[in-house]
Amino acid sequence: MIKRLLAATGIATLCLITGASAAEKIDMWVRSGIGDSFKKVVEAYNSTHENQVAATEVPFSELVQKYATAIAGGQAPDALSMDLIYTPAFAAAGQLEDLTDWAKQLPYFSSLSPSHVRLGTYQDRIYGLPLSVETSVFAWNKDLYRQAGLDPEKAPTSWQEIEANAEKIRKLGDDTYGFYFSGGGCGGCMIFTFTPLVWGSGADILSADGKTATLDTPQMRKAVDIYRGMVKKDLVPASAASDNGVNFLSFTNGKIGQQSLGAFAIGTLVTEHPDINFGVTLIPGVDGGTSSFAGGDNFVVTKGTGKLDAVKEFIEYVYSMKGQKVMAKYGSLPTRGDIADKVLEGLDPRMHVGLEAISVAKTPYTLQFNDLINSANGPWATFTNAAIFGDDVDGAFANAQSEMQSIIDSGQ
Amino acid sequence: MTGAGRKQQSFSRKRRRRSQWRGLLYIVPAMALVIVFFVVPVIFTGWMSLHNWPLMGTQRWIGFNNYFRMFNDSRFMSALNFTAYYTVIVTIAIFAIAFPLATFVERQRRFVSTYRTIIFLPVVIGLATASLLWVWLANVDSGFIGPALKALGLVERSPNLLASFDSAFLTIIVMVVWKIAGFTMIILLTGLQAIPAELTEAARIDGASRWQRFRYLTLPLMRRTIALALIISVTGSILAFDQFYIMTSGGPQNRMISVVYYIFNQSFVSFNLGYGAALSIALLIILVLISIAQLRLLKVGEERP
Repeated sequence: MIKRLLAATGIATLCLITGASAAEKIDMWVRSGIGDSFKKVVEAYNSTHENQVAATEVPFSELVQKYATAIAGGQAPDALSMDLIYTPAFAAAGQLEDLTDWAKQLPYFSSLSPSHVRLGTYQDRIYGLPLSVETSVFAWNKDLYRQAGLDPEKAPTSWQEIEANAEKIRKLGDDTYGFYFSGGGCGGCMIFTFTPLVWGSGADILSADGKTATLDTPQMRKAVDIYRGMVKKDLVPASAASDNGVNFLSFTNGKIGQQSLGAFAIGTLVTEHPDINFGVTLIPGVDGGTSSFAGGDNFVVTKGTGKLDAVKEFIEYVYSMKGQKVMAKYGSLPTRGDIADKVLEGLDPRMHVGLEAISVAKTPYTLQFNDLINSANGPWATFTNAAIFGDDVDGAFANAQSEMQSIIDSGQ
Repeated sequence: MTGAGRKQQSFSRKRRRRSQWRGLLYIVPAMALVIVFFVVPVIFTGWMSLHNWPLMGTQRWIGFNNYFRMFNDSRFMSALNFTAYYTVIVTIAIFAIAFPLATFVERQRRFVSTYRTIIFLPVVIGLATASLLWVWLANVDSGFIGPALKALGLVERSPNLLASFDSAFLTIIVMVVWKIAGFTMIILLTGLQAIPAELTEAARIDGASRWQRFRYLTLPLMRRTIALALIISVTGSILAFDQFYIMTSGGPQNRMISVVYYIFNQSFVSFNLGYGAALSIALLIILVLISIAQLRLLKVGEERP
């Protein structure tokens, strides 16, 4: 009797163990505002695999502090789709799982997006791998161009042209505007869409070693003047002044003539707003040239998670042809260079502009990105709002320049 | 005789001691809650404030450096300034609305409980919920206030209320008054109702005017109630955070960063938990001092003059 009981409990325990190991549930966080590509690849994965991924969307402006507090409180998710610029900071704090050995044996490791891998590497160990790639591009609404008497197939090549086109589009109606940007203290939006104006013309907001703030340049003055001018001429909706990024995709409402957006937005427009007939081109610099911000997310794994194997399986799925196709369809550029052309085959041709932008794109490298740029109360976010909408442009330049420098100095 | 007296004395002492123990037993649950959720966290915060304590990574003892840093921190000073400005304006606004409301709903009239309920209703909404609601109301395109002004022909085009400091500040003040005034009204109402009707009657017979009755009768008798309402209002305003975080994310060009907002930013955006803890302790001291000053000024605790 006792023997039988023992055997029964033994079998029951065995069942429990195998049951537990058969299907893992991976908790993953992803930031909002990057389109649907991640959501869709998770859906595709969940429907074909026994392991499941539970993705939680976190507002992009709060992801860093939420993740950091979750780590400190022992409540962190297993893995995270992290804005790639934050990978060095978290790797340096020793909070991420070392993926070096596993990553290097992937047959396509050498063709993974190099800038992502560079930012995912800290002291020669790899902590982050590319998950999604995006670049900023300039988009215009072809229907509004046509109505305003402009050539809908001709991409504007200078800001003078963009402003002139905006004036014509504004005349179409009370609620039709020529241009849009999220100017209400959205540092992330503005570094993505506004700095290409100065990058394209050879200036930058930080020195190459990241130790000096170089905000006050003739190029930046000119860029600010262009945006100020468009605001003053009423070519930009009044809501832009307080948009903290929530309405970044205002272009999708069909009443905005022109806007700088990202490749993610191309995917969103194509799949969810097929009625919007738009073109994309590279963002012009203020003095000629073009540029773009190369961003996107890195895949990072929280140190000490017990589900490493399941996470690896999911990453490998994302890197497979199938996974890459799903990602690309919803606007994430291919992370694997070796199959990039094949992945984009048959997809919207406008995605190629996003891919082309990579060659002129920049990504700032600084451990203080959140403090300097992305924080809603940081100097960059404050500067963009004060310089473009405020009354005192010189003061805005001086304040931001000195505050950026003091943040950089205090971090040394 | 003496022996019996001593026995009596020791017996009563024993009884007193026993009842003291029993009294202590009754307040143990409350004490435990206060110790676990207030005293220990404050002590821990004080301990943290003496360290360079990053959110991730190892902490390092730095003595009182966080406190010295505070005095040269211009952003902290401007946060203090803004919080003081906000507290003064919002407290005056709340009392200016709540006092008339309290006298209005104190008298017995038709539908008085309906009025009380309606005025009190916003109080039961959470502050964050109310802030979100007002973000929508103040939205330039799809909201209510701007488009309504435009529809009435008062303005040529819908204004973006949250885009400039003055209009955003005004919006927040109106929102907070709408949300809080009902609560202050209820507190003041209890004070008003505690004044015996005979006193007012007698004053009226003596020929005191309406203003004289208010100034020399109602106000002095309501001193304690006003003190309570004032302390609750001032403390709440100094600790304001939700409305600025949700409605303006710190306001146009960082001009609406309150002290708590700054502490939050230092702790969870810049990850300086140690400095955030030091700022919290400083804020606690400021609050205690202000409360003591208010009690002194209103002479609460002393007997009637």
